[in-house]
Amino acid sequence: MSDLLKDKSQRREKRAGKLPSEGNHGVRGKETTGKTKDSISTVSYMDELAHHDDNPRMAVTTENTYQMGPYKRIPIPAVTDILKDVLTSYLQEEEYEGEWSQKMTKTISEVIRARVKDLMIPRYKIVVLVHIGQLTGQSMQISSRCLWDAANDTFASYSFKNSSLFGVATVYAVYFE
Amino acid sequence: MEEYPNGNEGSFNSEEADGVVKECIEAVVGGDDYSANQVNKWTASIVERCLTQLVKQGKPYKYIVTCAVMQKTGAGLHTANSCYWDTAVDGSCTVRWENRTMYCVVSVFAVAIP
Repeated sequence: MSDLLKDKSQRREKRAGKLPSEGNHGVRGKETTGKTKDSISTVSYMDELAHHDDNPRMAVTTENTYQMGPYKRIPIPAVTDILKDVLTSYLQEEEYEGEWSQKMTKTISEVIRARVKDLMIPRYKIVVLVHIGQLTGQSMQISSRCLWDAANDTFASYSFKNSSLFGVATVYAVYFE
Repeated sequence: MEEYPNGNEGSFNSEEADGVVKECIEAVVGGDDYSANQVNKWTASIVERCLTQLVKQGKPYKYIVTCAVMQKTGAGLHTANSCYWDTAVDGSCTVRWENRTMYCVVSVFAVAIP
């Protein structure tokens, strides 16, 4: 029985070994995980993965993907451009107003999240934080600290100002192994 | 300033984090009035203190802690967050605190390490 399992895993590894010669990075990553999942489905304990939605709290045994780090990192300039674009287009000619600002912060944060997701960077979790405030000559300080893996995780932020309001948007991207 | 409703926190205990954060804010700016010279120092201490207290809990999470301190002048401020993560294990907690001269909004985001 154990020999059979060993043979299966060896065959899987051989298949994975052939992949690097085909395709490009991003696709390769997806194919590898896809192929691993397909090959795993022959092993008995993958039933838990199939029923993942039913038992979200059960410990899921997953096969190694042998992936040491992200294949594709978050392009900070692209994200900063997204933030600049969204903030400017939504806030350029607007006046600060209580109810409208409340809706706007929620809308803007969702729009930014959707656009960063569209960059299709796999294995990254995204946190978007948006502040919109009125300008009345007050002073304000926003700061943040993060405990994470500095090699893979990163952030981007942009601030916008017009005559009656200011808007600050920050995106944090955390790598998920 | 109204609080944006938080999503579900599965394994992340947001009440506990809430208590930790409130205690940190009180300890740093409890009895003080807003001062532009010191605000930089305050935000840095609040954030570092929160982070160290959260890490002491020893849970397998990466943390993002954000703090906004604003002088009270009758101006309005709105904050919203939107997160793309696994709602079963990740979570966040936002604490609003104020005194006579300033507002302080601290957000903690906890992302699970598998």
